[in-house]
Amino acid sequence: METATPALSAPPLAEGSDRDPLFRVRDVTKIYTTGEVEVRALDGIDLDLFGSELIVLLGASGSGKSTLLNVLGGLDQPTSGTISYRGADLTTANEDELTQYRRDSVGFIFQFYNLIPSLTGRENVALITDISRDPMTPEEALSLVDLSGRMDHFPSQMSGGEQQRVAIARAIAKRPEVLLCDEPTGALDVKTGITVLEAIEKVNLELGTLTVVITHNAIIADMADRVIHLSDGQIIDIKRNRTRRPVRTLAW
Amino acid sequence: MHPLDLKLVRDIGRMKGQMISTAVVMACGLAMMIMARSLILSLETTRDAYYTQYRFGDVFCSLKRAPNALRPRLAEIAGVAAVETRVRGKLTLDLPGLREPADGMIHSIPDDRPAQLNRLFIRRGRLPEVGSHGEVVIGEAFADAHGFEPGDEIDATLYGARERLKIVGTALSPEYVFEARPGETLPDNRRFGVFWMNERELAGAFKLDGAFNDVIVDVAPGAETSSVMAEVDRVLAPYGGLVAYGRRDHASAIRLDDELRVLRGLSVAFPAVFLSIAAFMSSAVLTRLVRLQREQIAQLKALGYSSRQVGWHYMKFALVIVAAATLVGGFAGMWLGTNVVSVYHRFFRFPSLTFHPDWGMFAVAFATSAGAAFLGVIGAVRQAVKLPPAEAMRPEPPAEFKPSLLERIGLAQLASPAFRMALRNLERRPWQAAFTSLGLALATGIPIVPGAMRDGIDYLLSYEWDLARRQTVTLSLIEPGSASALSDMRNLPGVISAEPFRAVPARLRFGHRSRRLGVTGLPRDAMLVRLLDANAHAIELPPDGLLMSAKLAEILGAKPGDTIRLEVQEGRRPVREAILAGTITDYSGVSAYMEIDALRRLMREGGTVSGAQLTVDTNRWAEFLAKVKEAPRIANVGIKEAVRASFRKSTGDMIGMITTIYFTFAIIVSFGVVYNSARIALSERSRDLATLRVIGFTHREVAAVLIGELALLTLAALPLGLLIGSGLAKMIIATASSESVRLPLVLTAKSYAWAVIVVLLSSSLSFALVSRRIHHLDLLGVLKAKE
Repeated sequence: METATPALSAPPLAEGSDRDPLFRVRDVTKIYTTGEVEVRALDGIDLDLFGSELIVLLGASGSGKSTLLNVLGGLDQPTSGTISYRGADLTTANEDELTQYRRDSVGFIFQFYNLIPSLTGRENVALITDISRDPMTPEEALSLVDLSGRMDHFPSQMSGGEQQRVAIARAIAKRPEVLLCDEPTGALDVKTGITVLEAIEKVNLELGTLTVVITHNAIIADMADRVIHLSDGQIIDIKRNRTRRPVRTLAW
Repeated sequence: MHPLDLKLVRDIGRMKGQMISTAVVMACGLAMMIMARSLILSLETTRDAYYTQYRFGDVFCSLKRAPNALRPRLAEIAGVAAVETRVRGKLTLDLPGLREPADGMIHSIPDDRPAQLNRLFIRRGRLPEVGSHGEVVIGEAFADAHGFEPGDEIDATLYGARERLKIVGTALSPEYVFEARPGETLPDNRRFGVFWMNERELAGAFKLDGAFNDVIVDVAPGAETSSVMAEVDRVLAPYGGLVAYGRRDHASAIRLDDELRVLRGLSVAFPAVFLSIAAFMSSAVLTRLVRLQREQIAQLKALGYSSRQVGWHYMKFALVIVAAATLVGGFAGMWLGTNVVSVYHRFFRFPSLTFHPDWGMFAVAFATSAGAAFLGVIGAVRQAVKLPPAEAMRPEPPAEFKPSLLERIGLAQLASPAFRMALRNLERRPWQAAFTSLGLALATGIPIVPGAMRDGIDYLLSYEWDLARRQTVTLSLIEPGSASALSDMRNLPGVISAEPFRAVPARLRFGHRSRRLGVTGLPRDAMLVRLLDANAHAIELPPDGLLMSAKLAEILGAKPGDTIRLEVQEGRRPVREAILAGTITDYSGVSAYMEIDALRRLMREGGTVSGAQLTVDTNRWAEFLAKVKEAPRIANVGIKEAVRASFRKSTGDMIGMITTIYFTFAIIVSFGVVYNSARIALSERSRDLATLRVIGFTHREVAAVLIGELALLTLAALPLGLLIGSGLAKMIIATASSESVRLPLVLTAKSYAWAVIVVLLSSSLSFALVSRRIHHLDLLGVLKAKE
């Protein structure tokens, strides 16, 4: 972690390059109807996401970033439009197919960790390794997030940062192609936030996992290959960072 | 509507499954309570009104013969409000469509004035006309059993003379609410009937012109019944009077009181079990609600609501459950009661037996269950309102866990994470797990009770009529006869074996307690009527001394070795003493036995017999009955199979119906408890389960995590439940035990299997319902919400 790897400065992939995108999002709209009020959470999103990219989604609350993450992760279906993952249409997939998709391909990290309190760190990771096709061992996954020393602790015996790193280990133990992080540092202080982001960065670099991170915090955007800005359910800006800033140099 | 009440309404809407299941269990308890209490009220009210209106006597006495002129002397006895004298005797009947003879009791009614006491209620037809010949009024139950109507005629033998009786009416009498042979615990309305005839004609038939042989006395309010009885005895003694007795010894009154006592027991025991389960459930539901709403409580307090207001708000949840349960249980109880009351009509004959809902019981039911629910909730509410708002608004600290005991002792290394989650969840809240398990155990135990009652009946039937009584038929003579009477009976066609018996009507007295019944003398080596001990082993009659039903010994407060006084109510009414040699186990009615020669010695008589037990060749059955029907000395014929059938039809049906109600309720309760536990587990685990769904667990795998925990609790509950069920069965069967019928406690593998099946089926259904709800887990919301 301490040394910047060459990959950090690798040339970012250009849009429209000859590589096929992992996700192809076309004219996706998501409308929530609550009573008589219609909320357009997503409003005509077009987007391609490529393997091993690190994407930061920025936007005010209500801008649609969580909704985008949810439809990408197969937790929700768009109202219209299509999302294809490796050419397979997620918008027509049934519940079992979506479950299989999440199980095999997607890792989730949440703001509030969502660990199972009755299982130790190692066991929380084992939850996934037990059901995956080609997982790493829980120990490997936990050492990847520098948590080898505390893996037999229960969530209640860990700090927030440690709990979040267990969550990351749990998300990546199945070697997912996609890692979706919803405000992973939202509940953490700066220093702890940095260690968590470092873990995410390491996973992205070492495993080549397409990583999407939602944040309010514009400074975090510097760690990304691309920064996508949402407002009112629309993409208002996609910025490509010339170089990714190593997480350990970030401060806020 | 106050905003808090709006919140109440909406919260109830969200948790209606649990509220409904709790209310339904409570309603079952209340339904049973209200049904039983209303039946008691109905029977008591009807009985009291009937006894009063139709002037049921307080003291009764039979005698040999006294002149009508003695009547004023009886009326002069201090404390006597009214006296009725009459002629009362047995008759035998030759009924068309009945191969065997039947018998009955016939009573006189005054010719020229209305009866003072034990008045008749004429259901159909009219009273016999003055100066008419052979006109009778018959008891309704007997009439119903044969379809007799006014205008029909019956052949009967009165005092040795055959007569054709013309039915002019059907009637009820307060002395035959339970229309059966006096002293018999089961009605046999096809073979026993009650009759009333004009006094002059009946007295003529019984050679009692100008005389009477039966007295009924009404005791004035405030007067001592016992002193009236003593005085009646004194006045009647020279006229062959038997010992006077009160309502407490009156066959029909005893039977009715017995039934009321059973109902009283059932109205407490069973509902108490149901209501305590419901209290458990409402406590679990509401504790969970309060815990989930910890932050809302803090906000309410921050807004300025007092702890009292907040507490009251949560108490209202309990109130809503209780109110709904009282309403549903009340109406269900009334509906059941209305139906059961019509079944009582088969046993107890009243001019009208209408259902009186016990409204007071509604209030008691509401208060009882509200109290129980409040007790359950109060702890959680107090805990919630005690927290300072700022602290309560912070999320609860993450739950602490540790490796479970099984793991610490190194047994669970192979367990899956899901299984470990289940184990640790259980260990983390051992009390909650224990309570849930206890609830499930009670749910397992309840279905055992109706099973045990059903098996008890089956056992009783085969015990009483296969093991104990092996005769085909019992013949009783009109008057005790000599050895020749026995050989006459033995020589009837088809008789294979015959054993004499001697029945002596007596009052058995020990200390201040007494009971009127017949002492039966049997041959020492009796094979047709066997006396059995608690293990169903035959007991040999001692050469001297008395054996009696364990229940009778209990009633008298006597134990083996005690001296029992026998006040014989026959012949010269000698008073004798006999040692209680032991007790026997029987389940229907109470009896006392002596070796036949010992009894004869006591009576200072020779080879007297009162009747005989016979086994009869079934091929010659018709021939046998035809002969018996012609025999003038035979008073009645007890056919074992007929009695057994009658028991099945009457008491068996009654208990069968109660059993069905209980079993239905048991299933409802069992399902309610399991479903409720599953719903609570689901709401407690929803966040974990949603997380599992998000990270790729299938619906089935998530359901397995939830159900694993419940399955563990259910399995733990089963053995305890079987134990609890056995205890409940013992308690409730003891409560329902009466002098007439005492169900033995029979616990069979079948009852246990049924209980387990009921719980497992309820569990499966609940799990299926709850696992359907896993489909609706809020995957998105749960990820946003804080713990």
